Amino acid sequence: MARTRSTKGTTAPSTSTTTTKTTTATTTTKYSLPAESENPPRVFILPKKATPAARIVTLSNPRYARPSRYLVCPEAGFFEFTRISAPKTAPRSWLLEAGSSAAAEAQTTKGAELYLASPIDPLFLVLPALAGSGQQKKRMFLTSDDHFDALSESSASSHLSEVLRWPGIRPVLERRMAAVCDTVEAGDESMFRLNESKLLDEILAKTRRMSELGFPKSMEEKFVAKVLEAPILGVRSSQAVKPTGTTTAAAQEEEESSATQTPSAADSSSESQSTVSSLKTSASSLSESSTSASTPATSVDDDGTEPVISNAMTAPAEAVRLQRLRVSFNFICSSYVAPPLAAVLKDKLAEAKDKADFKVLDEYLTQLTELRQEAVAARAVDYSRKHTLDEEEDERAEKRRKKEEEDKVKKANQSRGVNKLKKVNTTGMKKMSEFFKKK
Amino acid sequence: MLEARLEQASILKKVVDSIKDLVQDCNFDCNDSGIALQAMDNSHVALVSMLLKADAFSPFRCDRNIALGINLTSLTKVLRAAQNEDLLTLKAEDAPDVLNLVFENSANDRLSEYDLKLMDIDQEHLGIPDTEYAATISMPASEFKRITTDLMAMSESVTIEASKEGIKFSAQGDIGNGSVTLRQHANVDKPEEAIDIELSEPVSLTFSLKYLVNFCKASSLSSTVKICLSNEVPLLVEYTIAGAAGGGSYLRFYLAPKIADE
Repeated sequence: MARTRSTKGTTAPSTSTTTTKTTTATTTTKYSLPAESENPPRVFILPKKATPAARIVTLSNPRYARPSRYLVCPEAGFFEFTRISAPKTAPRSWLLEAGSSAAAEAQTTKGAELYLASPIDPLFLVLPALAGSGQQKKRMFLTSDDHFDALSESSASSHLSEVLRWPGIRPVLERRMAAVCDTVEAGDESMFRLNESKLLDEILAKTRRMSELGFPKSMEEKFVAKVLEAPILGVRSSQAVKPTGTTTAAAQEEEESSATQTPSAADSSSESQSTVSSLKTSASSLSESSTSASTPATSVDDDGTEPVISNAMTAPAEAVRLQRLRVSFNFICSSYVAPPLAAVLKDKLAEAKDKADFKVLDEYLTQLTELRQEAVAARAVDYSRKHTLDEEEDERAEKRRKKEEEDKVKKANQSRGVNKLKKVNTTGMKKMSEFFKKK
Repeated sequence: MLEARLEQASILKKVVDSIKDLVQDCNFDCNDSGIALQAMDNSHVALVSMLLKADAFSPFRCDRNIALGINLTSLTKVLRAAQNEDLLTLKAEDAPDVLNLVFENSANDRLSEYDLKLMDIDQEHLGIPDTEYAATISMPASEFKRITTDLMAMSESVTIEASKEGIKFSAQGDIGNGSVTLRQHANVDKPEEAIDIELSEPVSLTFSLKYLVNFCKASSLSSTVKICLSNEVPLLVEYTIAGAAGGGSYLRFYLAPKIADE
């Protein structure tokens, strides 16, 4: 088995000469593989409307202020990339055919990553500059140039200044800025200052669009169905009835048409492992009220003929709608808005009852929490009974231990002489009290 | 408030050593006349009575009657820290939780202080009447100790016979029998070695040797021991606490006689 250096030297070239470009042949022996490419091809799905002038550039990520890649087209606008990769447990690879361009050879790639470009509102990209450092007490009216300068200063590797020189980019950005800012005209220039209420309106509009279109199935289940699911009171049946029949149907439809998205929904609906996992990472902020349901939901096919098993409570349609709205809002905030600003927006949303009133949902959720606690308590009965038994045993053991300890202490305080005297035969000896009377 | 100072810690050490093998816990009753102790062994066939008169201490102050419930084994442990020549001061509050013991060594200015936790002991107090004994024997404490230990080898019990001829200790056991007889004997040079027998009527009583051996642990307190016998009453073994100033301090042991049951 162990190959010496010399044999290896001879076998490797011989096989490599026979291998052709066919990928099947390359798998015959380990040594025939050509060296890994330093810069392997990546697979992108790019929008059709993007012109050849479009470039992949590095811009600062609005949420984390880290350089990220974006596709910018002077005509089609800004696109962000979502990486979709196979899970490590199921490795996959791309088999790339030599295309008509002929420049690239047919080859296989190590990973099966797919980069999906989806439109992003450029508003988010300039938002960090508009929001400022957050420490400033008062935001000033500034020209768009000042804002852009602030943005390119904050991240050194940004291509923003380059991108701004392209025709059509600056007007797009300024238009989006105007949507969330108070503006004043100073001479022939416009000055912008962020208005948080306007921003909230803008985000709420996106939120509505996203929630009304419905969520992809995985998201719907995790963040809407599960959160709103009432506990099942009959402990026996593990079958749960999903809260509303229509929601999943809508979600299923949605997952098919996942590729085409509104800017607001962005990458959220691409149904892939990686997005789901990325969703999980943001789950803490996304599902604020998600105390995970105690029983796993097995969603039932929506025949409607299924006998309704005693779900304690079904969520009203309004609550479902509001939950979706809340999830969308949290999702947008946690994906595109920097944490300090997101916190401000959340507070604003809580205040702005006229824009979105979550009262119905909140009431339902409080009810639900109570119900869950009851259900948990009902289930805990068995354990508690067992526990008391244990406690009794513990008590007995404790007593025994105590007694032993006491005996030990007693023994330690007993002199040997006293113990010896105990063994003395005192038969025929009267008690002292027989001779001496008690006082 | 109790405050009592003994010139020699050894006195208390010896007292406690003498009785700690007989009783486990006992009350030290303190009042203006001194510190007294009365306790019975577990079987209630023997009784120990101790009195340390106020004169034995200098100074002695005790405003109220205080009962100090003490585990003698614990007290022994504390007293082990005292050297025989140390000045010993006992202090306690009126309703004490602890007994404070201070050992002062004048030679090297060493001062050690201990607090001993007290306990509540429910003990019945027996009234011991003054008794005219049929026989009262004074003898060297070491002699009595020797007789008891020697006879211990023969038997568990000893018969003490006081008559005109003298006093006879005899033991009968599985391996044989043995006896020691002492006669009245005066020693002008060393009065502590004299044997004095006062007899109003002959007596013969049997006692448990193990208890007598136990009593003999007090031999260190005094060079002489007084043994008092009467029919139908407990034997009295009395040691005067020799080191205590003022006199009148004693340690007494009482033991119920064995009545042969046929």
